[in-house]
Amino acid sequence: MDHYRSLLQEGASSNQDTAPFFGFIGAAAALVFSCMGAAYGTAKSGVGIASMGVMRPELVMKSIVPVVMAGVLGIYGLIIAVIISTGVNPASYKLYDGFAHLASGLSCGLAGLAAGMAIGIVGDAGVRANAQQPKLFVGMILILIFAEALALYGLIVGIILSSKAGQSAAPAPAH
Amino acid sequence: MKDLTHPLVWFYIPVTLTWICFCISVGNPAKFIDYDWLWLLFRSMSPYFWSALGVALAVGMSILGAAWGIFITGSSLVGAAIRVPRITSKNLISVIFCEATAIYGVIVAIILQTKIEYVQPVDGVWDRYAMLSGYAIFGSGVTCGFANLVCGMCVGIVGSSCALSDAQNSTLFVKILVVEIFGSALGLFGVIIGIIMSGAVTWSGAK
Repeated sequence: MDHYRSLLQEGASSNQDTAPFFGFIGAAAALVFSCMGAAYGTAKSGVGIASMGVMRPELVMKSIVPVVMAGVLGIYGLIIAVIISTGVNPASYKLYDGFAHLASGLSCGLAGLAAGMAIGIVGDAGVRANAQQPKLFVGMILILIFAEALALYGLIVGIILSSKAGQSAAPAPAH
Repeated sequence: MKDLTHPLVWFYIPVTLTWICFCISVGNPAKFIDYDWLWLLFRSMSPYFWSALGVALAVGMSILGAAWGIFITGSSLVGAAIRVPRITSKNLISVIFCEATAIYGVIVAIILQTKIEYVQPVDGVWDRYAMLSGYAIFGSGVTCGFANLVCGMCVGIVGSSCALSDAQNSTLFVKILVVEIFGSALGLFGVIIGIIMSGAVTWSGAK
């Protein structure tokens, strides 16, 4: 550690070498948390579909909608993770870029986790209720769309944050 | 909180308290939490620690997910097959879907460990490219491992429901299998991102 202590006191540029840790953890967080949300949504809705399908097998294919919407959350995480992991430039990657990528990944991932939990619970209850009252289908779809929008907000903020990551080399704005 | 056997009490709180006690007790005794010392600790961690941990997590967490899914599916399958033995052979597909997540983890771990090369530290300090490569392998292993963990659990839960509903009505098997296929795509996402991140590995300078 003593070599690094002297580097820290000199303020050497190699102090920024830990920045890729935060970048890659951002990409990992984007994918892992989105997949957690997608998995929860798929599993919870899937159990509801299977239970409901015993009594009304003809409604199963229509009720796959919550599962598809949960799968889309995994796609959102995949998009941000690809943007981040191809954006980690070995030549010049400062701590600013690393923290921006971390924030981007966490925002997309945690939003996807939350949306997945919502989609799972609403999908489960919705498909079971739809089996008993067919007029509820449109209502269930509307609620699922609102839940999906939460993940979309996380994706938008994630894209904005990861676009800031290439700007650490930009000149400071004149005041 | 349900009762005092909740995992929050017995896992998360002890881990958090241990981490806080560690931060307080190390470093300069004059400071409450010596952030400089903690940063120096983080800075001086060898990239080979991160690489090795990444490879281990890639295979370990994937196999944990596969095992979790297999026991969830398998227990429902054998339970339902007491009355309806015909479901056994078809519903082994769910077990195979869970096994596939373990295979993904093994593949990614083997690919990652071929990317580890030894480079000498200069004056006790590792090159920036070596640090980046260590972090890349760690990130890749974490992504693949935890994505396959949740994928295995998801496929297991849906496979359990598939077996139970197949026991009641055999036309439902193929329809619920569609849900399982959506679930198993999540493990593939983890593998894709793991392979992309491992492409950033360059132990000694840009290519």
